[in-house]
Amino acid sequence: MKVPPWIRPRAAMGLGIACAALALAPLLHADVYAHNLLTLTFLGIAAALAWNWLGGYLGQVSFGHAAMFGLGGFVAARAEISLGTPMVIAWCFGGAVAGLYGLLWGHPTLRLRGPYFSIATIGVGEATRLVCTYWDWLTGGSSGLSLPVTPHLKYTLYWYGLAIAALAMAASYALRRSSLGLSLLAIKSDVDAASDVGVSATRLQDLVLFLSGATMGLCGGFYASYFSYIEPGDMFGFDRSISWVLMGVIGGIGTIAGPALGAVIFVLLRQYLIASYPQLYLGLYGILLVLVILFEPLGLTGLLLRVFHKARPDLALEDA
Amino acid sequence: MTEVLRAEGLSKRFGGLKAVDEVTLSLEEGSILGLIGPNGAGKSTCFSMLAGSTKPTAGRVFLGDREITGLPAFRAARAGVVRTHQIVRPFANLSIFENTLVAAVQCARRDRAGARGLAREVLEFTGLDKRRHEYPAGLTLAGRKRLEMARALACCPRVLLLDEVIAGVNPVEAQEMVGLIRRIRDQRQVSIIMTEHVMAAVMRLCERVVVLDAGRLIASGEPKEIVQNQEVIAAYLGKKHA
Repeated sequence: MKVPPWIRPRAAMGLGIACAALALAPLLHADVYAHNLLTLTFLGIAAALAWNWLGGYLGQVSFGHAAMFGLGGFVAARAEISLGTPMVIAWCFGGAVAGLYGLLWGHPTLRLRGPYFSIATIGVGEATRLVCTYWDWLTGGSSGLSLPVTPHLKYTLYWYGLAIAALAMAASYALRRSSLGLSLLAIKSDVDAASDVGVSATRLQDLVLFLSGATMGLCGGFYASYFSYIEPGDMFGFDRSISWVLMGVIGGIGTIAGPALGAVIFVLLRQYLIASYPQLYLGLYGILLVLVILFEPLGLTGLLLRVFHKARPDLALEDA
Repeated sequence: MTEVLRAEGLSKRFGGLKAVDEVTLSLEEGSILGLIGPNGAGKSTCFSMLAGSTKPTAGRVFLGDREITGLPAFRAARAGVVRTHQIVRPFANLSIFENTLVAAVQCARRDRAGARGLAREVLEFTGLDKRRHEYPAGLTLAGRKRLEMARALACCPRVLLLDEVIAGVNPVEAQEMVGLIRRIRDQRQVSIIMTEHVMAAVMRLCERVVVLDAGRLIASGEPKEIVQNQEVIAAYLGKKHA
């Protein structure tokens, strides 16, 4: 197989080794708490990366990605319960529906840019939550849906989660380093100038939102299987949408791997803060967010690069 | 000589204001046409309509035999009509090389290797190749105007619309820019329409000039005739001096 020239062997190897280590870890050391935490981290990584394709690469910050996460989750759950669809196929189906739903609202709203788009996504997220809460046939209303539980399912899902996170990581890399990624950055910089040099901004933005939404939906399906009970208030919650924004900002918005790092920090920190300071934890996130935006707009990635004196990653991509 | 671009009765209204009013113009293959007029005459709006970034209220645009009226900007660019911007708009987050590479990939539709070759070649042509790893923020205004042209050339245009690429740069750079525009026409077989306030450059470069005033085409002809034209002088300086 011919390897595209934009794939760096070191990056591919790093991802491979990390995945292999994580895949073997539970076999060597069985710990239910760590097992659960890691699975949730995988989910966070995949979702944060998918959010970043739109929010970081294209600069279209969405506060409504829970709409796709929730829809994908409920479609997958409904397919499993009512049609007996196998789990993974149900996730993919949920993902496809969520991606198409993203296109439905994204095609008109992606013409807006910056804060205007963000405001629209808040509306989309809330409207979707309300409508789906009333759609008993899909979501079971506010009492939600329970999925069939099989023994060892939760244990096995660890590896599914790892696979989803790894695929999202590979996709982030491919999206960014291929020529498509270059066009996305051009659109982010100046959408009209990009159109003037032949970039089909509408089509590319739609494509990215579809991919992002479909991945979100897949994550929602995974979440449904993992917890075997879902309800609309949680799945479509605004705080869920915010959590992906936070992961992106903490890790480094628009960078390839930053949001994955942000997801790790976010999930672990939340676990610790909720246990230790349940009243304070949202406030502490707020402070963290302010500090990041004030001092290091590229988040932890920016900090790391500064420490290692590397060029800024939202710049330099191609070497001639 | 064959005609490469033709606009017929091109008009644009913004509410009650006629920014461009029934302008008809034609560009010969391999020539440079000057589009001049006082500020607010509708030159940039004309460019926007030719390049597809603004939809005309009325009128038609043809590239060769093909009608391109109302095509979205990216399609007009791929068809071969590419514009530069009066106020330069580089992609600040991309290196100079990547700025041209985007155009070579998306507009000229080259594969990766072909696009890289084209981008390098265009940067060499415009004299930016040595600085290709830098970012547009490091360039002078003249440099950014060159980049604007390099990016447009990476689209492999048939017709290049240059919106005031000389105005605002120092006299030495202006000389170089005149040379560059001439080389684009001679060596790359690109036909050019340029708007410009620097009349010396227009006189030296353009075979023909059309004059806009208040959205209407008031004169067209060779540069020598145009500067004698009473109506043109009145448009620029007022009736008293005509």
